[in-house]
Amino acid sequence: MTTATPTRPDRGTRPARQNWRVRLRRDRSLILMTLPAVVLLLVFNYVPLFGLVTAFQEYDPLAGIWYSTWAGLDQFQRLFGDALFWNAVRNTLYLSFVQLILFFPVPIALALLLNSVLSQRVRNFIQSVVYLPHFFSWVLAITIFQQMLGGAGALNHFLRNNDIGTWDVMTNPDTFALLVSAQVIWKEAGWGIIVFLAALAAINTDLYEAAAADGAGRWRRLWHITLPGLRGVIVLMLVLRLGNALTVGFEQFLIQRDAVGYDTADVLDTFSFYYGIATGDYSYGAAAGLFKSVISLLLIWGANKLAHAFGEDGLYRR
Amino acid sequence: MGNELNRRSFLNVAVSAAGLVAMGPLLSACGSGPAQRAGVGSEAALKAVLPAYVPNTAIKPDIASIAGGPDVMTNPGFLSYPANRVATVSGIPGKGGTYSAVTPLWGTIPPADNAFYTAMNKALGVQLQMKPADGNNYNTIIPTMTASKRLPDWIQLPTWWNSQMNVGGLVGNQLADLTPYLSGDNIKKYSNLAAIPTAAWRAGAWGEKLYGIPSFATGFQIAGTLYYRRDILEAKGITADQVKSADDLMNLGKELTDAKNGVWAFDDVYRYLYTSFGAPLKWRVDNGKLVHLYETEEFYAALDWNNRLATAGYVHPDALAGDNANGNTRFFGGKTLISSGGTGTWNLADHQSGQAANPNYRRGALNIIAADGKSALRVDMGPGANIMSYLNINLKPEQIEECLAIANYLAAPYGSAEFTMVNFGVEGTHFTVVDGVPTATEAGKKEVQAQTFPFLAAPAAATNSPGVPAVTKDYLAWQAANVKALAKPVFWSMNISMPQAQATADAGQQVEDAMKDCIHGKKSVAEVREAVASWKTSGGGDKLIQWTNDNVLQKHGTGQ
Repeated sequence: MTTATPTRPDRGTRPARQNWRVRLRRDRSLILMTLPAVVLLLVFNYVPLFGLVTAFQEYDPLAGIWYSTWAGLDQFQRLFGDALFWNAVRNTLYLSFVQLILFFPVPIALALLLNSVLSQRVRNFIQSVVYLPHFFSWVLAITIFQQMLGGAGALNHFLRNNDIGTWDVMTNPDTFALLVSAQVIWKEAGWGIIVFLAALAAINTDLYEAAAADGAGRWRRLWHITLPGLRGVIVLMLVLRLGNALTVGFEQFLIQRDAVGYDTADVLDTFSFYYGIATGDYSYGAAAGLFKSVISLLLIWGANKLAHAFGEDGLYRR
Repeated sequence: MGNELNRRSFLNVAVSAAGLVAMGPLLSACGSGPAQRAGVGSEAALKAVLPAYVPNTAIKPDIASIAGGPDVMTNPGFLSYPANRVATVSGIPGKGGTYSAVTPLWGTIPPADNAFYTAMNKALGVQLQMKPADGNNYNTIIPTMTASKRLPDWIQLPTWWNSQMNVGGLVGNQLADLTPYLSGDNIKKYSNLAAIPTAAWRAGAWGEKLYGIPSFATGFQIAGTLYYRRDILEAKGITADQVKSADDLMNLGKELTDAKNGVWAFDDVYRYLYTSFGAPLKWRVDNGKLVHLYETEEFYAALDWNNRLATAGYVHPDALAGDNANGNTRFFGGKTLISSGGTGTWNLADHQSGQAANPNYRRGALNIIAADGKSALRVDMGPGANIMSYLNINLKPEQIEECLAIANYLAAPYGSAEFTMVNFGVEGTHFTVVDGVPTATEAGKKEVQAQTFPFLAAPAAATNSPGVPAVTKDYLAWQAANVKALAKPVFWSMNISMPQAQATADAGQQVEDAMKDCIHGKKSVAEVREAVASWKTSGGGDKLIQWTNDNVLQKHGTGQ
């Protein structure tokens, strides 16, 4: 992997002072091809950033951004004094942490298991089955959970008819974090294995053969060949996951908010929705959103630094 | 029947959606800057401009309206479709103008430039470009139009979205003042519009001026009521008349719940029951002092009762899990026996859907009760109309007059020649008469959507269920039995624009959240009291009450 003196790619071989005109001519078709994507990025990702200014206003949709009253940091002052906001922050971090522990390793394990299945047909079949839930909407996924585990669902119907009492899964605030993690695993774990499978396919099979010839057993091969081969990807996914720590999902919580109560299910995104958009208090929602973005940026920056410190690529090569 | 489903279901969805949410924001809020607000008008000045009311006597209903208090009456009812289709408009109303119109539509958008639109435009004598937009996203589509000041010539803005769409800020800025054309006797020029009750015009008035043109006006506007499976309960010997108090309801919960067989007595009922405990819809005046719902003990009594209902296990678990979308499915399937909903829920399409699940299906509504079983019966009524259309301020006076002439055509009474055209299309092309019932052809099902033209203007509501008169009879019998209980709440039908901070407090999100958890048995009443305490101080509640007292009650009275 990395050596003591990393070689920087290509830079030395490039002609020292190439005229920008020459370079433009050389890369013309490449630039043309990326142009639509750049325009999309600008129009839909960068231009709307100016809307963030509403977080510092008493935004009035009718007056528009230019004519709304300037409020300075008032919205943030309100935000930081709002117990419901801190509750949402707490829930977000807690759910994110639980999901990191319970969900993150699942696709890796699943990919390793699947990789060890030799029959291509069985593999394809399993892969299709575990991919499928990803394409369900959250409404559908939660309906299925409700039908199975809800108070009137299959499980409780069985328990009730056999006089075993009932088991409150869907509306119990105490176990909500486990429930949503289970839902995420059911729905997304299959989809999550794709990137790991690709990384597994990239590992040189000669290494396995050589190791086997040297008498390495299954576990030793896993430990010394497979996992090191996956390390770069795992770290990259971890960095991205940490950067998104404050984004645990929206619909999943929106739909189940009434089932377990807002003090358990409100995350930052649903907070912005209910206390910003739904009540017409747009600036307040924008302030909460901006707060989330800033913290996320710091997280992803920190995680990337950490990855570099461990000698990994992280989001980009240093 | 298919055609009925197609065309009537518009009304069901629209009106039940209206019933569900309409009563919440009785006070319309808006987020505009201070200069733009229309505000509340003075009662006397508004009364001076309200249009005259000239009832239409051309077509006699089978069941006549019964009057209750002021502005209260039951709907007239039709047991069959009038055979003699009287014409109420002479000549062609339009003068060849071209107008664009945007309306919400809950259903499949008909193809643009279809034969029905062409026939309508011919009958109206204008080029009316109908642009129905998805009803489910309507509240987010409109603000983008208003922000860019690109409203069409004619637009439907349902009153339950008044605050979200900031109608209070739009009137006079982007929406035309119709006062000069419709006030007092001026409306007599438009006989069908004059037959719309005054209360409905009041719901479209802002700051002493008339702006909105009401559709489906009714004198029996309430948020909703408690429904029951009449077929199942009557088989058990239970009738609506036996339910007179909250205790009776609780006992029914015990009697009817059979969880082992997947049957629960109740779905969510709080929203349509809390006023039975004596709580106001939102405001009350006690000895001259303005009191908010959250400050009343009756509110907590209602919460406590619903909390006990839930924890006793009488409410369907899916309802407790917040799944409202499938409430009707549970009711049709007999999984819940007592549910609640807007009055628009009860109609022909409901009957058809219910019978598809169970041939014996019969919906009934419980009577309005007083929770203690002895207080005077009372239910707060809503504004005279929820569906309200507006004209663009950029139209010239003669254009406004042309549009009003078209509105007059669209508001022709039930069973008239014009009504038949607007609601069923061209005979032979869009519908045929089968056993006296106009029945849509394939083209009719596709093109004639009752959520298009009638959303610009429509006659006062007339209850009907062609082919199944029993539904109309049941519904109007219930209205007749309860019409005396309807009463005007404080600030009835007053369009109030308030500053954003007050509007946010008015929405009371944190209390509504705690309340929902309480009625689902997850939070205690004491916890709701805590949420209210914090709403009053940090949530702006006290300021809201003060603002409403100073700016509405003291200046304009209660509007009752």
